[in-house]
Amino acid sequence: MMNPSLPYRRVYMLLMVMIAAVVAMIVQLIRVQFGPYAPVFATWVEAAEETRDEVEPARGLIYDRDGDLMATNVSMYYLEVEVFQLTEVSRKQIAAVLSRALVLPYEDLYAQLNRDWGSLGQYRIRLTRMVGDGERWPITVDQVAAEMLKGFLLDPEAPDLSGLKLVPAPSREYPAGSLAGHVLGFVNQEGKGFFGVEGFYDGWLAGKPMTIERGYIPLQARLEPDPPAGVNLILTLDMDIQQMAEQALAEALESTGAEAGQILIMDPRNGEMLAMAIAPPLDPNNYEPWLDEQGLELEELEEAEEPVINPAVGGQFEPGSTFKVLTMAAALDADLVEPGTEFIDTGVIEVGGVRIRNWNGGAWGPQTMVGCMKHSLNVCLAWLASEKLGPSTFYDYLTAFGIGRATGIDLAGEVGGQLRTPRHPEWTEADLGTNAFGQGVSVTPVQLLAAVGAVANEGVMLQPHVVRAVVGPEGAYWPNPTVLGRPISAETARTLTGMLAESLEGETHFAHVNGYRLAGKTGTAQIPTEKGYDERWTIASFVGWGPVDDPRFIVLVRLDKPETSPWGSVVAAPVFQEVVERLVTMLEIPPDAVRAQLAAQGVQAQVEQQ
Amino acid sequence: MLIALALLLTGGLYLGVNARLARAGRALLDLQSERAELQRQIEDLKSTWAELTMPHKMLARARELGFEPARMQDIEYVVVEGYQPPAPFIAPRPPSSNSLREGSLSPAYTETLGDWLARLIRPREGARP
Repeated sequence: MMNPSLPYRRVYMLLMVMIAAVVAMIVQLIRVQFGPYAPVFATWVEAAEETRDEVEPARGLIYDRDGDLMATNVSMYYLEVEVFQLTEVSRKQIAAVLSRALVLPYEDLYAQLNRDWGSLGQYRIRLTRMVGDGERWPITVDQVAAEMLKGFLLDPEAPDLSGLKLVPAPSREYPAGSLAGHVLGFVNQEGKGFFGVEGFYDGWLAGKPMTIERGYIPLQARLEPDPPAGVNLILTLDMDIQQMAEQALAEALESTGAEAGQILIMDPRNGEMLAMAIAPPLDPNNYEPWLDEQGLELEELEEAEEPVINPAVGGQFEPGSTFKVLTMAAALDADLVEPGTEFIDTGVIEVGGVRIRNWNGGAWGPQTMVGCMKHSLNVCLAWLASEKLGPSTFYDYLTAFGIGRATGIDLAGEVGGQLRTPRHPEWTEADLGTNAFGQGVSVTPVQLLAAVGAVANEGVMLQPHVVRAVVGPEGAYWPNPTVLGRPISAETARTLTGMLAESLEGETHFAHVNGYRLAGKTGTAQIPTEKGYDERWTIASFVGWGPVDDPRFIVLVRLDKPETSPWGSVVAAPVFQEVVERLVTMLEIPPDAVRAQLAAQGVQAQVEQQ
Repeated sequence: MLIALALLLTGGLYLGVNARLARAGRALLDLQSERAELQRQIEDLKSTWAELTMPHKMLARARELGFEPARMQDIEYVVVEGYQPPAPFIAPRPPSSNSLREGSLSPAYTETLGDWLARLIRPREGARP
């Protein structure tokens, strides 16, 4: 016979076990609610209650035209500490490890870890380091250091780092360092883009932050939505050409003693910038020293509307003789002169009461228009502007060439240059004479490039640009080249190109490249100061393009304050020559004779290097 | 006694279900954290790769291997029948937002007992009287 009390005993036992489990849970709940870690849990609860969180999307990447990454995102980590998880041992060991790994003072770290944060109502702190003048910045570590610290946290044999947390945060990185730094611009720690492409396309690259409901409690966990990422940009720049141009510029500065300079290379057929070498360079990975050198504060720049930092689009200068290309283009296009039109150079001309002389002070006698350009005669060009064109026609042409107006290039900080026309209250007739040879008028390098680019491109002026395509989640958008205007006819452009090619072959042999017919013009500009023009320093420049029968590139070289010689023909033209010799190889442009031969055979541009 | 036992069993069952749900939620949080970490690693690797293939480094490596930059006079141009220049580079598309398609889990994973009861009591949407 079965014992009748047995089932009851089993039920009692089961009941006891369940009651014990419930009691255990109640004890645990009391411990969580009122125990020593209660403030920590309370903080978590507060955090969990704030379930709405703004998530920043990944910033768009920037590539060059061949797919080389120019700007990317990496992770850096903030070091945070759960103060209630610290022990006396972990305080010392965290301070010791960080002190050695990051070369920071042990005492400062230990003092932060040993402070009574609980009494201040803080249970999680971010470790900081001392920077100049008493300011403290959060300590950040890179991926390598973070991996080491994570390894320590997981290894029981490693130093005790209990309480240390690594909090990731995105950071912008430019793998090429200072290469094309001025074009790229930079991004500050808050993720805002400044200057260059980063500044101009900041809104597109940054994407749209999204507010999401975030569940920190496991029961409330759900799949978090990703905010729409920023678009990726493909630039028109070619990193290899950019590297070559920056190398050539660095060597030019070294050999001429110039204090600054630029080499800009553009495809005149579509306005694509192939390279923008600018010295001194800007390293976007480490932009603070650059800002210090410029005497700029990031906080001020955030409020400034048009900060000038990229000399290619923001640095105005009086162009000097390179500007004569535009004056001659106007005179030819208006049918006032022809290449063979004669001019007797007496060495001086008076315009508006100002006596204008040639660069060497001499009289060059009878000259054709080709001779005027070949010998870069100020008197001849001033005569063209004052006696032939007149102010109305002359300034109409300059306006058509975009002088005094920003090109609209997609880089932050562009300025429009300065052109005083007869409508300007301070304009005088003397301006007509000096403007004709590039004095009393200021342009930016990219503005000059665009204007002269019209001569290279059959009279059609295209907007320079650095972004080739915008790639978003929906696909790629390839903007069409923007035509800024047609300041001169195609016939005028071809005639002037021929004249400049002839003058280049004759006078400026430093710019000659074997096998290729090129056109170009030197420039030696005086630098205006508050007390008139600087007597010692000049800006030497050269603008040229080629091959003249099918221009594929236009190159502007500018050297500021060269020491070895003030003349563009001596210091800037050889740089143009060196750049073009490398450029025709990199762009796979066969010599003129080979192209003519191929054309005779009916072969298009389907050639391959061997 | 039996009622208490039944209540305890129901409570235990409910706790068990909730515990499993919490574990699933924990696993989801862990997976999200792991996904974020992997995305960070991908970005870091992209950056490392980009650094290693920068023109100046490639040029230096090519020089180490005995190559020299080609000069104008070194180049001979020949016609290659059918040669097509390489297609322009197209960057990968950035990830699109998954907020509409994948922003929430199916109710099968999130519906509570109360939700289920409410759904039973509430008349079906679109049902004809």
